[in-house]
Amino acid sequence: MIRRRTILRIAGGAGVVLVAFVVAGWLAFVPFAKEPGYEFVRAWGEKGSGPGQFNDPTGIAVAGDEVFVADSRNGRIQVFDLEGNFKRQFGKPGESLGELGRPMNLTVAGESLYVAEYFNDRVQVFGLDGAPKRIIGKAGAGPGEFRAPGGVAVTPEGELYVTDFYNHRIQKLGADGGFLRQWGTTGESGIGAGEFGYPTDVALGPGGTLYVADGYNDRVQVFAADGRFLRKWGGPFATNITGPFNGWFATVTGIAVDGRGNVFVADFYNHRVQKFASDGTFLTSFGGKGAGPGRFIYPMGLAVAPDGSVYVTDFGNNRVQFWRPNTKER
Amino acid sequence: MNGILRTAVFAVSLLLPVAASAAQTQYQLRVDGLACPFCAYGIEKELERTDGVESLEIDINAGTVTVTMADGAAMTEAQASRIVEDAGFTLGGFEEVRTQAGNKPE
Repeated sequence: MIRRRTILRIAGGAGVVLVAFVVAGWLAFVPFAKEPGYEFVRAWGEKGSGPGQFNDPTGIAVAGDEVFVADSRNGRIQVFDLEGNFKRQFGKPGESLGELGRPMNLTVAGESLYVAEYFNDRVQVFGLDGAPKRIIGKAGAGPGEFRAPGGVAVTPEGELYVTDFYNHRIQKLGADGGFLRQWGTTGESGIGAGEFGYPTDVALGPGGTLYVADGYNDRVQVFAADGRFLRKWGGPFATNITGPFNGWFATVTGIAVDGRGNVFVADFYNHRVQKFASDGTFLTSFGGKGAGPGRFIYPMGLAVAPDGSVYVTDFGNNRVQFWRPNTKER
Repeated sequence: MNGILRTAVFAVSLLLPVAASAAQTQYQLRVDGLACPFCAYGIEKELERTDGVESLEIDINAGTVTVTMADGAAMTEAQASRIVEDAGFTLGGFEEVRTQAGNKPE
């Protein structure tokens, strides 16, 4: 017969083991912040269709002293100065050249703006003045075709990397739109290295390193300029385990790299932006859920300005926010 | 008496098809995870290219997609399920809300 004392001893021992497991897991999988962080500077926007208003702001890019915002349901791109003052807009909903079908993440390269269009299954290229230049790609699952492209990055040579959401792949295209190569198996999601689960955005780092926001796999994947897989991070072993902890994600919808190779990630359902070193080391995060200053409801896209300011589309609040590195002494 | 009755029935039967074709069927689909635009737009895209769908409205907070069909068009739950799955989701609920033209749904 088992005595009460023995049962208590076993239970106590099991409790100690459990606590040890949790602590070990925490130490292994939850990093601490290594930077002073960021401070909220300003937000602008509200729901609407007038200048400075948004109806689903999605992608954002900073070039020189201008901020380009994809105003998705309004089918347009709005351009602001670095303080958020409206300058100009272009585009309207539609399928023709110069029209936009749910513009998502976008990027500026040289004198051109590249916009991934979710409904039109293509990337459209504009001059920074808004003049439409050309259309790349069309609907489909073949080479150079897309099923809901959500993000694009462009090399100095004009080659494009495009996230192909429902095809679960990243495509690399020549400047003429010709297919060069892809990562991922078309139409098949996966959690292994080089496989994707609804990828949403791409960004290029120094040396041509490719960073991929592997959207619904809750992780980031990194590839060298020659295409080799380098690393991935996001939760334990970056295998699509979601959570609210530092370095874990709950759907990543935007990714950007600054001049030093630091990586910023829009952590959509965690309502925050996380910052990492180029090797994936967690540095800091900012945001939190809410509608007030410095809070997000679903941050979707982000961009880093030359001075280190981070601009974020606050999708659920229909506004744009920008933040600066915290200059206060600790 | 029989002749009048027959005429009356005939007259009413002429009206019935007119009344039926003036009805626009609405369906309310319940889907989780609609907050993210990649998801919500994915469902919109699939639904808009479905024959018979006239318009749709997404309520992120309620997690519902309300689909209004063109006159006389209908959708089965199996169809709705397939469309939602093609967009990467699971259908959590499917309810038909039948409306007469110009009337509010009950």
